[in-house]
Amino acid sequence: MSRKLSRRQFVAATALSSAALITAPYVRGAHAAGKLTMGFWDHWVPGANKASTDLVNEWAAKEKVEVSIDYIPSQGNKNLLTIAAEAQAKSGHDILAMPTWWPHANSELMEPVNDIMEPLIKQNGEVNGTVQYLGQLDGKWLGVPSCVGSQIKGPCSRIDLMKKLANIDVQEMYPVGAPPKADNWTMDTFLKAAEACHKGGFPFGIGLGETTDNVDTAGAIFQSFGAQLVDAKGNLTVKTDAVRQALDFYKKLIAFLPADASAWDDASNNRWLVSGRGAMIMNPPSAWAVARRDAPQVAEQCWTHGFPSGPKGRFAPFLPYFWTTWNFSKNKEAAKSLLVYLSQSAAVEKMVTASGGYDLPSFQKQTTFKVWAEEGPPKGTLFHYPDPYKHQTLSIAASPAPPKVAQQIYARATLTKMCLRHYQGESMEKDAGLGGRRVRRLYAELSVRSSCSCRAERDRCNAHPPPIRFVGSRRAVGFPTGD
Amino acid sequence: MASTAVIDKAAPTRVVKYGSMSRDRKWALRWSYFFLGVFAMFSLVPPLYMFITSLKGSAEISAATNPWWVFHPTAANYVGLLTSNQFLRFFWNSAMVSIFVVTITMLISVPAAFALARMRFWGSATLATGVFLTYLVPDTLLFLPLFKMFAAFGDWTGIQLINRWYVLLIVYPTLTVPFCTWIMIGYFASIPKELDEAAIIDGASWFQTLTRIFIPVAMPGLIAATIFAFTVSWAQFLYPLVFTTSTDQLVLPVGIITTLIKGDVFNWGQIMTGALLGAAPPLIIYAFLMDYYIAGLTAGATKG
Amino acid sequence: MMVDVAFQPNRVGGAARKRQSLRVALKRKSTAAFLMTLPLILLIGILVVYPAFYSLHLATLNKSMQRFVGLGNFQFLFKRDTFWLVVEQSCIFAITAVLFKALIGFVVAHFIHNIPAKGQRKWRGMLLVPWVIPPAMSTLAWLWLFDPSYSAFNYTLSLLGIGPIPWTGDADWARFSVILVNVWYGAPFFMIMYLASLKSVPDQLYEAAAIDGANWWQRIWYVTLPMMRNIIAITTLFSLIVTFANFDIVRILTTGGPLDHTHIFATYAFRIGIEGSDIPLGASISLFMVPILAIAAVFILRDINKRGNEA
Repeated sequence: MSRKLSRRQFVAATALSSAALITAPYVRGAHAAGKLTMGFWDHWVPGANKASTDLVNEWAAKEKVEVSIDYIPSQGNKNLLTIAAEAQAKSGHDILAMPTWWPHANSELMEPVNDIMEPLIKQNGEVNGTVQYLGQLDGKWLGVPSCVGSQIKGPCSRIDLMKKLANIDVQEMYPVGAPPKADNWTMDTFLKAAEACHKGGFPFGIGLGETTDNVDTAGAIFQSFGAQLVDAKGNLTVKTDAVRQALDFYKKLIAFLPADASAWDDASNNRWLVSGRGAMIMNPPSAWAVARRDAPQVAEQCWTHGFPSGPKGRFAPFLPYFWTTWNFSKNKEAAKSLLVYLSQSAAVEKMVTASGGYDLPSFQKQTTFKVWAEEGPPKGTLFHYPDPYKHQTLSIAASPAPPKVAQQIYARATLTKMCLRHYQGESMEKDAGLGGRRVRRLYAELSVRSSCSCRAERDRCNAHPPPIRFVGSRRAVGFPTGD
Repeated sequence: MASTAVIDKAAPTRVVKYGSMSRDRKWALRWSYFFLGVFAMFSLVPPLYMFITSLKGSAEISAATNPWWVFHPTAANYVGLLTSNQFLRFFWNSAMVSIFVVTITMLISVPAAFALARMRFWGSATLATGVFLTYLVPDTLLFLPLFKMFAAFGDWTGIQLINRWYVLLIVYPTLTVPFCTWIMIGYFASIPKELDEAAIIDGASWFQTLTRIFIPVAMPGLIAATIFAFTVSWAQFLYPLVFTTSTDQLVLPVGIITTLIKGDVFNWGQIMTGALLGAAPPLIIYAFLMDYYIAGLTAGATKG
Repeated sequence: MMVDVAFQPNRVGGAARKRQSLRVALKRKSTAAFLMTLPLILLIGILVVYPAFYSLHLATLNKSMQRFVGLGNFQFLFKRDTFWLVVEQSCIFAITAVLFKALIGFVVAHFIHNIPAKGQRKWRGMLLVPWVIPPAMSTLAWLWLFDPSYSAFNYTLSLLGIGPIPWTGDADWARFSVILVNVWYGAPFFMIMYLASLKSVPDQLYEAAAIDGANWWQRIWYVTLPMMRNIIAITTLFSLIVTFANFDIVRILTTGGPLDHTHIFATYAFRIGIEGSDIPLGASISLFMVPILAIAAVFILRDINKRGNEA
């Protein structure tokens, strides 16, 4: 069934193989033939799937490979179910599109793609920070970032309402074809604008639920304050000033948000914008596209732009999809060849244009296609969507914690829950402590559960030192045994 | 019925106040209709709303006008779905799966119920009780091992089960058979033993007893079980979501939700249309079979 | 219906003959019985029991599924507040929903039984509609009815001057909404089972009770309920089990609700197991209720069997 390696052996093996992979570039041989099955993300833009199908068929005709494509929706978490089931069964599609955390979650079953990523990076430019964080494990690339489905969940504002109520001209701040003039677009300005729009009857539509839109916004705001629940080395950093600041900021912000924001899912903010009731939401252009179809008078006033900056920088949530290959796939050669083909700028531009500018490539040189400048009305509304001037740092909520821990924080929506609890009046200490205790226990369990595969009798592993240090508290270093 | 029974000549004679009885009866009837009306309203408001929404174009839905009235009714949603090959394919898949599953369920549960109800063999009591406990393990847990089993089966024999609609013919019975068996056991148990003892003495084999006596007598139970099995198979969501991926293999509930809701974009008009069209077959079947069911009951099948 | 007889067996042999034919019959009976139940046994054994044991095995592994941790997952769960919140909420949800479903089903079945037979058909039809619509889709309709921005209910209430109700936004309202949808969906099932059972209660008993001077309440308590005990027990048990395992309604309406306040076992297991990629922990959550429900089920079923054997 599953090979039971000890952690040391595994790390050694990957170090050796990744060294080998980095030095040996991928050479397309005559082996790319046979059958190839793939599962791609089912795009909501009508016609976008067709662009991918056409590209794959073109490649298949050239390479004489028999392909079959399944478009797997994220609705109902069908894609996650498929990933889980195929990982368990060790049988499934050769190429599978995985969102955010899943390459890491299935890292033992991922076929390393260093041999195609290195040349792609040289060719297309560096990838952004989020992709490096989510796509790599100890130097091994787990997948190729896919443009299809990748998105930035930045602000999409109503030009007229922001001008009238908050005295902010978003078009001037983020003009078409020119770098942004957004030095004044800070968290404080953002908060004041939220207050003004709330008073004016058109509150910002930022949700506090447990779905990804809500968690991503919280993540970006937390990071702009430098607030991390768990830092990159795995230390718990909940009881820090930065977290306190972020929670206080959110407390002030929640007062200006819709009353039922805690129940919002991923579609609620879209509806908030399209119904004309809101002055801003944090969403990729799907909301604007629906408005264009159903409520043109609202769509004409939409402008997608950058995130406000906080004390520690300007961060925006980037949600990447990865094209990955299982290591039990029967046609890895063909899979890698196809992934290289799909990452060429010509192919990427076709797919991005078919999606109306919604899809975002992760390679630097692919963020300036003309589709973003030309989509409208209003023309140029998407120009700053792909962040062409590298004006903000792309990240994901709960980073830079080790991805397996961060995934738990993300999935359990710990960030938004902490903000809500803080707003509802639980004391700072209790609230951070509760979050801290939960995160601590969570991390304790995870660090033993995920990293240590040695066969210690109890859950306490004596061979490996306890990984947790508590920053900002007087507790001694030790293994938390549940408190 | 009750009022005529009072005139039964076999009952001891006593003074009967017809007037007060019929007045009570009338009031009882009025209250009955009133409460039934309330419950009917409660039951029908969502489907009515679904119908109203299905007549709206997406622009009108987003405009947040009066949700209970259609200002610009359009049949575009219906036309769009009924002419879409994809939707018809979903319908066909659902129908095939449901019909086959009902047949398979009946073939498994009726003989099993007969054996458990009538024949005492080692473990029959435990099995009759235990079959019910299969519902304790939720399907949200079972799908992973099942997926693994089917994938292994596919690799081993070359018969591809994953992502084929006929895999549902294997998994759905796990949901329908236990309860149908239970219903049938109940019905069979209520058939007086004299009937089958007479049959045995007359030389009928067990099989003949089953087909010639029990099934006709327990027909209402059979129909009830059929209705149950059909409804459950038609409405299943999780198993088809997991086991079928390609759009030509999907059944109706999964098909509607995965093709009409993309990412965070809901097409409410079409979703409601699809939901109503998807609910039509069970409703029609109910309309027909219900009469037989109740007719079978009132014909005295379950009376002593 | 009478059985067609091929031939009349010779009954002259008397007792000896009967004993021999009985023995033969017995032998045939056990093989026949076994063959008849074989498909059922195979179905449950291969497709339910074996995967259930595999899930049990999964629940004893660590997160990366490489190490056996025994009850470690359960120990971890017991220390978490959210888990106990989920337990509490699942119990409240299941018990309240089943109670209301049974009550409404019983009351409605009674009313339908009382009206003249001609009109029963259309009322039955109307009241059965919620159960017939696939729940995945009717829940979507409810989602749309409860939507924060577009709720039709809030629109109607606003005409009466009542402020917008956060159907899924406030913890208590969210719980109410979820139970409401479950009751709406499940009550017709109870109604139809009870109706069939009501019709099989002999009228003579009612007449006897009427003659003895019983009023409507006493009739129900002393005549109807005892006759329907088995059906009531079975449907309640079945509904309890199925409601505890409910996934679609909560998932679609609230995905666990504001601050986890409408999470039940299946949705929480999904959140942890699939969305958090921790399948063993998810399996542990799903399996938690199984022993408790199993014990309850065994007691109730034994009770039914006993009464069935007495009858």
